[in-house]
Amino acid sequence: MGILELAIITIVKILIVLTLVLLTVAYLVYFERKISAWIQNRIGPNRVGYLGLLQPFADVLKLLLKEDIVPTVSNHPLHALAPMIALFVAFSTYAVIPMGPTITLFGWQIPLAVADINMGILYVLAITSLGVYAITFAGWSSGSKYSLLGGIRSSAQMISYEISMGFSVGGVVLLASSLRPIAIVEAQSGLMWNAFIQPIGFITFLVAAFAETNRLPFDLPEAEPELVGGYHTEYSSMKFAAFFLAEYANMIISSALIVTLYLGGWQIPFIERLNLPVGLTVALQVGAFCFKLAVLLFFFIWVRWSIPRFRYDQLMSLGWKVMFPLSLLNIIWVAILIMVFKI
Amino acid sequence: MSVKKRKKDFTFLENMYIPEIVKGMALTLKMMFRPKVTMQYPEVRFEPPSSYRGRPVLGQEENGEERCVACGLCSRVCPSLAIEVQAAETTREKERFPEKFEINMLRCIFCGFCEEVCPEEAIIMSKDYELVFDNRADAIYGKEKLLVPVKKLEDRIQFIRKYK
Amino acid sequence: MPKIVIDDKELDFNQGQTIIQIAEENGIDIPHFCWHECLSVSGNCRMCLVEVEKIPKLVIACSTIAADGMVVHTQSEKTVKARSAVMEFLLINHPLDCPICDEAGECKLQQYAYSHSVGESRFTEEKNHKKKRVPLGPYVMFDAERCISCSRCIRFCDEIAGEKQLTFVQRGDKVTIVTAPGKQLDNPYSLNVTDICPVGALTNRDFRFKSRVWDMSSTKSICSGCSRGCNIEVWVRNNEILRLTPRHNAEVNSYWMCDNGRLNTFKHVNAENRVDGPYLKREGNLIKTGWDEAIAFAVSELKSFGKDEIAFIGSAFATCEDNYIFAKFAKSAWSAKNIDFLRHVKPGESDKLLVMEDKSPNALGAQLAGIQPGKGGLNFEGIIHAIKEGKIKALYLLEDDLAAIKPEYESALKKLELLIVHSSNFNKTTDIADLILPASTYAEKHGTFVNFDGRVQRIRSAVTTEDFDRSLDGFEQSRLDKFGSPFDKWSSPKKMDARSSWRIIAAMYSALGHKIKHTMSQEVFDEISETIPEFQGLNYSVIGDTGAKIKLKSAETKSIKV
Repeated sequence: MGILELAIITIVKILIVLTLVLLTVAYLVYFERKISAWIQNRIGPNRVGYLGLLQPFADVLKLLLKEDIVPTVSNHPLHALAPMIALFVAFSTYAVIPMGPTITLFGWQIPLAVADINMGILYVLAITSLGVYAITFAGWSSGSKYSLLGGIRSSAQMISYEISMGFSVGGVVLLASSLRPIAIVEAQSGLMWNAFIQPIGFITFLVAAFAETNRLPFDLPEAEPELVGGYHTEYSSMKFAAFFLAEYANMIISSALIVTLYLGGWQIPFIERLNLPVGLTVALQVGAFCFKLAVLLFFFIWVRWSIPRFRYDQLMSLGWKVMFPLSLLNIIWVAILIMVFKI
Repeated sequence: MSVKKRKKDFTFLENMYIPEIVKGMALTLKMMFRPKVTMQYPEVRFEPPSSYRGRPVLGQEENGEERCVACGLCSRVCPSLAIEVQAAETTREKERFPEKFEINMLRCIFCGFCEEVCPEEAIIMSKDYELVFDNRADAIYGKEKLLVPVKKLEDRIQFIRKYK
Repeated sequence: MPKIVIDDKELDFNQGQTIIQIAEENGIDIPHFCWHECLSVSGNCRMCLVEVEKIPKLVIACSTIAADGMVVHTQSEKTVKARSAVMEFLLINHPLDCPICDEAGECKLQQYAYSHSVGESRFTEEKNHKKKRVPLGPYVMFDAERCISCSRCIRFCDEIAGEKQLTFVQRGDKVTIVTAPGKQLDNPYSLNVTDICPVGALTNRDFRFKSRVWDMSSTKSICSGCSRGCNIEVWVRNNEILRLTPRHNAEVNSYWMCDNGRLNTFKHVNAENRVDGPYLKREGNLIKTGWDEAIAFAVSELKSFGKDEIAFIGSAFATCEDNYIFAKFAKSAWSAKNIDFLRHVKPGESDKLLVMEDKSPNALGAQLAGIQPGKGGLNFEGIIHAIKEGKIKALYLLEDDLAAIKPEYESALKKLELLIVHSSNFNKTTDIADLILPASTYAEKHGTFVNFDGRVQRIRSAVTTEDFDRSLDGFEQSRLDKFGSPFDKWSSPKKMDARSSWRIIAAMYSALGHKIKHTMSQEVFDEISETIPEFQGLNYSVIGDTGAKIKLKSAETKSIKV
């Protein structure tokens, strides 16, 4: 496979993934509103298009047409840069998530991930860490006390939870002996899903994922009752939309990561025993990945509309006094598994 | 409701909050399948009960005269100063009438004090809740907008007589 | 001194005083309807019943002469019961039409119904109906149903106004008040009966139904109708004066004021013909202009005349402050000698009670403030004569409509090359003027008037102008003023673009390069009290609500009385 073909394939994959993610984000917003409505015995958006299905496009149109208000006291370049960083981080992380096994098409070996790199997990951790800059910049450059408080909260929170996240991933990496996402998925064949093998790690990662995406119950950076809108108080129009988009894209990334790291990725346990044609197997596996993703996304939304926000001290003590020791405990547990049970 | 417990008295399980979180999540999940209460507003309209306090109106007798004698008590009792009355003299049996009667619907908070204080049952809280205007001047309702035949307000008048 | 005990308090009194007088002097409130400090005792309302020890029955405090050693109880069980019985009796036939009654809010019967009545009536029969709209005179309307037959109005006409115009007719519950057939309640003080009427039976036809009393602000001021200087309250709603009422001042007007002062001295404030900004005459047409432009015009035009060609005429309608700054301006900035003002004396138009011959409120004040011809200068008549002869070519006239007084003055003014006028309303003089500067009326500014007797009294601003924010300088505010916002129609009323005359002149002064340090009329008055011996020791707080008398040299008093 020459460099040109690789480029073409990669570009095609990028376009497909980008489109998919954007569409998913749009409909994720729609479902967020629908599910919250159902939980509250309401109907939710139902006016734009059949069952309100065109609502996301109406929302986007509205956001695009709004006036872009930039506070005079803000640091203009940074103020404009922050949403770009947020979007960049959200989309570039997606590069290493495998959505299916490697397939053979027109004689080419094509992995169903944009980039199959051997230090993919490290890449994910590195890129998501950049996300904190987006929020901190946004908070600082707005020149508003609410934004600043939101930004500070956000950086403290993300740093605290990144530690337990990193240690949780450590367990996964130890078991798979690889940083390559595809290898990690393949290591979870059968029912050897990491969620079952290292449940503590799964829970700490899940909680850290909520904290990293700033979703309720960890949405202190934008806590409306205290901070108006937190770090994005002073944003409007498409810049606000960028943050909005990034938040939902981050949700998808986090869900996809959890699926990859803990829920066996695209794998369906024991599907190889059915002896299905290869094409169908791949299709089913991609479907399985999407299904797992959808379940996790629903879980994200469900949690948001059930659990109230933490107090700031509770958030910090949970991060440092509970999640951090638990993730360490998980590493020890995995070490014991490897040393004693030789898996 | 159970007795409130201090955090120090929590058992280990209670301290983890996990059972409570699961309970809460179960509740919200259950709620998703309940019947919905939303009313499809422009198609389905809410018909308020007689206890409803919509926009205040002035009762108009069958001969077209207003009941109001412009005593100004509604104006005085109004906590948001929404009502402005200017009295004038007439040759009718009730010697006063409101030459000007204006309610600023932007100021009105629909508390119903004006209705309660009115000695003539002239100012009545109607069932009208659809108040739309696109500038401040339109929000000031004069007599022509406020006068409503008493017959249409019978429901509310009966209610006031019962509970006032 | 004989002593009496009222409600456990031992009080001194003078022989011959009644119980209610002693109580009043010592701040003990005995409820009453028919008794009035300035009227004879009638004793028919029975509200002032009090218990006196060793007298078996309750006695009325208004006609019982106090005796040494008397012990009076005004709050005993017996008196309280008696009062509520009297209230119940008075309310038998009194209609419950407080909502449409103008007196509501300042009604004695209403107040006592709350404080001295049980709030219930055992009287189940229908109330007595009488005529509700009887015009007793040109200004007073009578509601027979509301009358509680206290006879205050009858006694007022008999004793104070001196014309026996009202009387009771019929008996029992049919008793009512009438004028003689074919006669009217038309004495010059008739409207005072609406003030002393304890209920809403007698109302002011001019003010009837115009406003509820609680919606207005009331500002203590002085009537500008004549040199008596009756103390008044100015009642304002939505920046519009709705009525004037007399204010008690034993030294000046007691409780009274004349109908002319009450009805005719405030209408020009709300009038349509107010000067709504500075006006310049250009090619025979009056053109509205800005303040800076008008002041620059005045200064540059005045400069083109020699000091003997200019005359300055002050005003007996303007305040001492206005006249003082005006005189100072004339003397120091223009070295003028031709300074005087016109006394508006109408011989024969006075009476024994209040009305004076001098129809301006501040003639003495203007003279004392320095509006007098300088050495070798011309007096008023001299100035008019010099204008006719063409010796005086420019006139600066303060708040006085000279042209309307005599055709002679009008033709003289027309001969002038320059006429600058301060005026609140358009009138015959402003028609001739080359520059009209809008002056505040007495209701729009702070200042002082000196009455015929040498009493300095304060006027306070009750109506706001564009230049003067009504929340400043202790403005009286009504409820609507306090809580209105700029978006409310009622709280953004028409405001006049007028200024106190002294402020206008001060602006000219500074246009000439002088420094004027005054920002409030109070400071101008402080300067007056420093520089003019008669005003020595006075300031606004010393003058207070009831005024202060100045030391007059007898010569001055004579010159004023003409």
